[in-house]
Amino acid sequence: MTLPVPAGEVRRGSVPPHLPMPRTLMANDLSLRIVIVDESPVRAAILEEGLKEAGFLNVLRITGRTNLLERIYAIDPDVILIDLEDPSRDTIEQMFQVSREVKRPIAMFVDQTDSKTIEDAIEAGVASYVVDGLRKDRVKPILETTISRFRAFARLKAELEEAKNQLEERKVVDRAKTILMKMKGIDEEAAYGLLRRTAMNEKKRIADIAQSIITAAELLR
Amino acid sequence: MRRLAMGFIPLTDAAVLIAAAERGFAMAEGIEIELHKEVSWANIRDKVNVGLLDGAHMLGPLAIASSLGLGHVRVPLVVPFALNLNGSAVTIDKHVYAAMAEVGEDLATALGAAQALGKVVRQRKAEGRDPLTFASVYAFSTHTYLLRHFLTGGGIDPDRDVRFVVVPPPFMAESLRGGLIHGFSVGSPWNSVAVDADVGRIAVLGAEIFGWVPEKVLGVHARFANAEPELLHRLVRALYAAARWCEDPANHDDLARLLSEPRHLNLPADVLKRTLDGRLHSAPGGRLRAHPDYLVLNRDGANRPERDHALWMYAQIVAAGQGEFAADAAREAMGVYRPDIFDAAVGPVAVKHPEPDCVATQFGAVFDARAFLGDGS
Repeated sequence: MTLPVPAGEVRRGSVPPHLPMPRTLMANDLSLRIVIVDESPVRAAILEEGLKEAGFLNVLRITGRTNLLERIYAIDPDVILIDLEDPSRDTIEQMFQVSREVKRPIAMFVDQTDSKTIEDAIEAGVASYVVDGLRKDRVKPILETTISRFRAFARLKAELEEAKNQLEERKVVDRAKTILMKMKGIDEEAAYGLLRRTAMNEKKRIADIAQSIITAAELLR
Repeated sequence: MRRLAMGFIPLTDAAVLIAAAERGFAMAEGIEIELHKEVSWANIRDKVNVGLLDGAHMLGPLAIASSLGLGHVRVPLVVPFALNLNGSAVTIDKHVYAAMAEVGEDLATALGAAQALGKVVRQRKAEGRDPLTFASVYAFSTHTYLLRHFLTGGGIDPDRDVRFVVVPPPFMAESLRGGLIHGFSVGSPWNSVAVDADVGRIAVLGAEIFGWVPEKVLGVHARFANAEPELLHRLVRALYAAARWCEDPANHDDLARLLSEPRHLNLPADVLKRTLDGRLHSAPGGRLRAHPDYLVLNRDGANRPERDHALWMYAQIVAAGQGEFAADAAREAMGVYRPDIFDAAVGPVAVKHPEPDCVATQFGAVFDARAFLGDGS
């Protein structure tokens, strides 16, 4: 499935914004029922949106683990996308192995020989189950969208974590500055300069020096 | 110091792996084991497959099914060490168990419990009620096969008279309480957890159905075993030293505390201590259902991965209808278990347990695994 992009102008895999989505290719996939099993509501929402943007309209989210099997039977999905850290994976695999009501999966992660996709999916944290009757080329874009969305979510989480840490660090540095200003009778700029020089000399982070000043001040109080 | 990433599922029989990592046994062999708590057996298999884990605590039948490509893509695994024998039990919903107590069988024996369950199942059928649903932890597991033998012992056809589902161990008790399942077969301490929550009664211990059941193993990717045989030997030696330590009752208090930590099993130490000692309450504060072989971590050669155990498990896979019999597959299954690696690393050990192909169940259903091969090889 190659996208109609002008040769030499666009890198592989990216679609220039002015080109319309290739409707003929996506039209086939509109009927695919895709189920997302993910306990994280934010990630599930990101995934659902991403898949819909990519042209898959029949995307359903399942939350909670009560009666998971019966709900999946009722939906009768073509593809199940599940968070790798969801304990229900064993339950869903067994369903495919023994059930006479549900079609058997052709494969997990599209195809056994496609080990790069398997590795990408697992490292991103997504496991997928594909039920019978789907061609590899129809499943691959679903999986690729999912993997990139899982990665986007991980980035978002890391950024949030970093922002939180930075805020914490700023508070620590501010407290250390106040202590230095009071003890040494210097202004804020000089206090910050002192912190920065010490950090440079000791090859440590400013936040770490600030933390040790706070700890020392508490001990000496 | 070599660092190895090892996966485990929060179960008592991860004890040897956890002790090896946390009590200096791996360190003594120049290995640092980084433990990764996993949520599903499928996760363990997949992460070992792509190399996110170097090895893991695994169900014996999972290692065999993965190597044969049953139920999933083929992942060639090597088993150089058996982490334990036995250690599971069958727990029944307390209301169903109460019905079993009324049909005039001796529930203290495995056969009595099986026959009482059989009568309850037939009674329900006669009344036109829904069949009972039983859970196991994974399709390819000794828990599944134990449950099937237990049901068969009570005259129940496991494929027609009841329903089977897979439920992750931490959700067993809750699923019982919610009426989604009526009984389950699981490793310790999850039977005791259901008893303590007063939702289930332990009906039979795994060791009461078969004398010896090959259970969890160390599974590594064939790639790793082939590339670094010397490192694998060191790992096996570390695990063997840890297993000897775990087996000694004098260390059970310490081991129970280690396992109870949040980063490991995150369960009360006294529940874990009971399972290590093989003394389980069958009902809250009730009679103890005890067995000296409830969970065997080291003694009598338990850690040697016997090829006969692998063959026995392959035979169970075929008997449960999970795979078609093929002599080549049977031999391949035996090849997953590697006593040669164990012997090279540890040296000779005295193996006392009987060969599993001549272990009779309590119900007389002898399973002749070797007959499968037909040529005695």
